[in-house]
Amino acid sequence: MDAIVSKYTRPVAGPLEGLRSGGERKSAFDFELPSIDRPAAFLRAHTDDATNPDARIKIQHGTTTLSFKFQGGIVVAVDSRATAGNWVASQSVKKVLEINPYLLGTMAGGAADCQYWERWLGSQCRLHELRNKERITVSAASKILANVMYHYKGAGLSMGTMICGYSKQDKPEIFYVDSDGSRVPGHLFCVGSGQTFAYGVLDQGYRWDLSVDEALALGKRAILAATHRDAYSGGSVNLYHIKSEGWVYHGNYDVGTEIWKVKEEEGSFNDIRT
Amino acid sequence: MPIEHSFNPYGDSSGGSTLAIAGKDFAILAGDTRHSTGYSIDSRNESQIHSVGDGLLVSPNGFSADARAFVDDVHNDIIWYHHKHNKKLAISSCARSIMHTLYRRRFFPYYVSPILVGIEPDGTGAVYSFDPVGSYEREASRAAGHASELLVPFLDNQVRKANQVDPETGKPLAQHDLDLETALQLVKDAFAGAAERRIQVGDWLEIAVVTKDGHKVERYPLRRD
Amino acid sequence: MEHHQANWGRPRNDVYGEYDFAIHNAGSHDEPTTRTLQPTVTGSSVIGIKFDKGVILAADTLASYGSLRRFVDEQRLFQVGDQTVVGISGDVSDMQNIQDTLDQLEIEANYDADGYPGPTAPSIHMYLRRLLYYQRSRMDPLWNSILVAGFKNDEPYLAYVDLLGVTYQSGCLATGFGNYLAIPLLRKLVDNDGDEKNVTYEQARKAIEEAMKVLFYRDGRATDTYHVAVITKEAGVQIEKTKCENMSWKFASQIKGFGTQKE
Repeated sequence: MDAIVSKYTRPVAGPLEGLRSGGERKSAFDFELPSIDRPAAFLRAHTDDATNPDARIKIQHGTTTLSFKFQGGIVVAVDSRATAGNWVASQSVKKVLEINPYLLGTMAGGAADCQYWERWLGSQCRLHELRNKERITVSAASKILANVMYHYKGAGLSMGTMICGYSKQDKPEIFYVDSDGSRVPGHLFCVGSGQTFAYGVLDQGYRWDLSVDEALALGKRAILAATHRDAYSGGSVNLYHIKSEGWVYHGNYDVGTEIWKVKEEEGSFNDIRT
Repeated sequence: MPIEHSFNPYGDSSGGSTLAIAGKDFAILAGDTRHSTGYSIDSRNESQIHSVGDGLLVSPNGFSADARAFVDDVHNDIIWYHHKHNKKLAISSCARSIMHTLYRRRFFPYYVSPILVGIEPDGTGAVYSFDPVGSYEREASRAAGHASELLVPFLDNQVRKANQVDPETGKPLAQHDLDLETALQLVKDAFAGAAERRIQVGDWLEIAVVTKDGHKVERYPLRRD
Repeated sequence: MEHHQANWGRPRNDVYGEYDFAIHNAGSHDEPTTRTLQPTVTGSSVIGIKFDKGVILAADTLASYGSLRRFVDEQRLFQVGDQTVVGISGDVSDMQNIQDTLDQLEIEANYDADGYPGPTAPSIHMYLRRLLYYQRSRMDPLWNSILVAGFKNDEPYLAYVDLLGVTYQSGCLATGFGNYLAIPLLRKLVDNDGDEKNVTYEQARKAIEEAMKVLFYRDGRATDTYHVAVITKEAGVQIEKTKCENMSWKFASQIKGFGTQKE
């Protein structure tokens, strides 16, 4: 896998376009670029504070996010922490982006990359509706996003997202899309620095015939586990349920209090002493 | 094109700190006026609070050349919005506009962490904070700049009432809107502390209070050492 | 994109290559900004102070080529319009380029002959800020630190701008070594904004002369001949050439450990 990734991924070799000096922005793809031969190396040198903590420009990152299909639809659960280097920049980030009443996108990686492109995707989905007189499918929406990510492959974007919703045939669908240009359909995904911890919980508790309440509790529990073990995840859990009629928000749960509740109810987290 | 990696277009963050609190019908944006480069104080009187029109205030927080260019962009965008639509720019729309201004420089970012302050159309005070490439969020309070690591935990504690327990009931304290007087006192205390412990913060504290009638700025002395 | 837990979402070395510390460390500002990265001809400090009726600016006449005293009679203070002086330190070729640009600006303002007073100090400062910021954004900087002195709404005006586009204003300003050697002396007179109202021309002039003397004592790229520009509402701009006077080198005998003197 590593060999394949490095074989087919290259940093952007030359400036995509010359630097413009202001003026009105023509489109969502109209970017100012440094006039140097290796813009991707330049961007990384100034923003990759994981490799070099002294890199000045600290971009906000996430995250643990998850979504899975079950008999009652789709559950989406995310944490709410944003980090800039080792600094917890926010504990109240909305990492579920409401693309429209039927589509949700999740946010992992660069916060701005996700927010910007998923909002742009929302406008593309609306244009699709106006042009075609019907809702865009999850498959088509996620492909629009994946195509953009492939266009900017190697330029330095960072995004890992799940596009979740219902298809034309009234089936729940989840597509994982990331800044490498990957687009993968699936039943269950965890994405972000805390993904492994969330997978651990989901894999042992997941069944197709979970009730809606059980599924929501499982999603919440998996994020809770990830916030406990991953330093870059935390804050609170945001829960969503997607049905064929659209998504429903199921509340915000502060991890600080939630963990004690779960410990008491489940008899779990026994490594934490009171 | 020549390889030009011997020149670093970014300088250090040169302002001190700024801090914002949203209230029920007001919002505060405060900042010190020290401008420094390394250990040198360049000026004791460079305001970090910029009025960009329509009752909106911005503090850019970061490398001051980028900061000025950024504020100019925001200001111009509001002027052009007036020309095109002949109406006031709502603060939530301004926040979205700022996101595009910042994300346009995604591959050559402005080195800034801006805060936008104003009044929402429903009359409530609002604070929006951004990362350097445009992700943003509406918050009850936010601090940025050199003393942000001192100011943010203080605001968490005093504005969000985080990790505070009512001694009588043993239950967590609920967050409620601060009144203006308390908020102003918090701001002054916060900056007095920041000026004690951060060399980049000091000289003068400027506090701008925004209400539906516009904003006014008051100045208070800070430590000058 | 890295998918392993520790660096999730970050760039991978096998895709982007090793992290380039050279870019991050480029041009670290440990030394005064008058330092150039190529062997070029440079001017040292420019210093300025406000007083009750105007502003004084001073800059010596030396243009150095590394440690060589290459040109000893260069003027680095330029009048622009009726009431503004621009003082430039740093690369001399870039300085001359800026000088040409400012000359052109003034010529074009005069073509109109419409009675409009021409560019003011704040507008010239803003023009230079946009110019230097534009050049830095093209990764092709004008390697200078500049002071602009004049009037804004009849009040004395003094502002700084450098190769990165950084700007600030203060009652007294300096570029290069002047930041370390002259500023403490000038701040004795104008520490606070508004202090200049209690400073006379004579006091300000004396402080400038003392500061230029100290710069000549201690800045190895300075010389004892310098230009002084006095900008007042009544007399406009007056630029004169002068020399450091009443110097005392007695302190030199106390310095041991280098040169011909041994411990």
